[in-house]
Amino acid sequence: MKPVLVLSAILLSQPVLAQDTSPQALVDQYSAEAGAAPSPKNGRALFTANHASGKPHTPSCVTCHSADPTKGGQARTGKPIDPLVPRVNSERFTDMKFVEKWFGRNCNSVLGRDCSAQEKADIISWFMSL
Amino acid sequence: MREVPAPFDGLAYDGHLVWDRFTRVFHWGLVACVSTALVSGFLLDASWIRLHLVSGSLAIALVTARTVWGFTGPTYARFSQFLPSYRQAISHLRAGAAHARHIGHNPLAALMVFVLLTLIVGLGLTGVASLGSGLKSGPMAASLPASQGHIWSKIHELAAFALLSFIALHIGGVVLESRRSRENLARSMINGRKEMRAGDLTAPPRPAQRALAALFISGLVIIATGAINRMSQSPLPLPPVGSMALVYSDECAACHMAYHPSLRPAASWQLMMDKLDSHFGEDATLPKETGDEITVWLVKHSAETVDSKPATLWTGLQETLPVALPNTDIWQRLHGSLADGTFTRRTIHSRSNCFACHRDAESGWFSPFQISVPKEPKQ
Repeated sequence: MKPVLVLSAILLSQPVLAQDTSPQALVDQYSAEAGAAPSPKNGRALFTANHASGKPHTPSCVTCHSADPTKGGQARTGKPIDPLVPRVNSERFTDMKFVEKWFGRNCNSVLGRDCSAQEKADIISWFMSL
Repeated sequence: MREVPAPFDGLAYDGHLVWDRFTRVFHWGLVACVSTALVSGFLLDASWIRLHLVSGSLAIALVTARTVWGFTGPTYARFSQFLPSYRQAISHLRAGAAHARHIGHNPLAALMVFVLLTLIVGLGLTGVASLGSGLKSGPMAASLPASQGHIWSKIHELAAFALLSFIALHIGGVVLESRRSRENLARSMINGRKEMRAGDLTAPPRPAQRALAALFISGLVIIATGAINRMSQSPLPLPPVGSMALVYSDECAACHMAYHPSLRPAASWQLMMDKLDSHFGEDATLPKETGDEITVWLVKHSAETVDSKPATLWTGLQETLPVALPNTDIWQRLHGSLADGTFTRRTIHSRSNCFACHRDAESGWFSPFQISVPKEPKQ
């Protein structure tokens, strides 16, 4: 196979991320929406706590993402999950649709409700501090 | 004239050479192949299929060569020498324990030879039919539908039980006749010799036509190899779709392996996609247009549209809520030989992680040739 074909095959096999935002832009946007400064400390607490309000198999974010977001996690199916911290994984928090889709699903699975803009800003700001 | 016994002949005594070297090698080679095929077929799990196929194929090759030898071999190897007439068989049975001693096969033993050879050929044919239909491999893969897999493997299994029974009768017959004639017949099949006694029923000697036998056997090898290769390469009708839609692998395979669309019927996929907000314990909601695009693709390539064993297994899946395939009776029967702890190994993690063991899981084939259960890694 020609190198060009190999290269395009590799490129096509990766999920195409829109690269339309950045972690800082997201924190700014969510805090503006919430009208308060982000709190990495609250983000950490929310991420690591056990919540009783969500679905029984996913009491916490760390159920799948592991307690150390600089490391990868593992979905309940066994599939590995890439690290969440942008310093380690530069693809994280660069695609608005992707971020919203996963906050939407996972907040509902873990908390049984949507996350507020404040909570989203808190969590991302905690990841950025790591 | 007394032949010089070969070193392995063991206790040399002045016997008559009845079983030529080919017949003896054939007999014990067949014992080894058939035992291996029976053990791997009845007692070992699906990951031993290769051993089963190799031993079964060798048994068929041996029987084929023996059949050629039955027309070209020396005196007592020839079918024409021992094929009994109806009258001979009846009078042999009537004589009971007082029957005359045959230096070759007696009529009852001869019938056993033909029954065993026929059963082994039948096992070969039904084995190839099961392989072709159920497992979509080998020369019959393109011509037999996967839905016949179950019936062919049942017939194959029944023939194997019949073979086991006849092997038991054969051994029983050898023991009885050895006692009656006070001669170890199993040892005769090792050194080829039998004591010559007055009143023995013998046959006029016939020379072996070795060159003719070699010609026939090599001709058959060439024709069989060519035909099997050619037939095995015929394109399969209705194979599982070969590549996953990008939207499907992006969205669905983000959390789990990309389950092949042919594993579930269309109605089951429709139901699954309607209930994404509660997807096996998690919220997997998708934007409507993405969900619709995936549903169309899944339905287009669902179990009803595919001729493969997994597609056949779950075409009739009935659900009111989406059921995980590992919770179905069919799945549990197929995985029954695995210890419970197997699935919690870190290398496998969950029963839904098919491709931890089935390397071809995402192709939809789930061939037994592609199974390898990973071990727990050393700490």
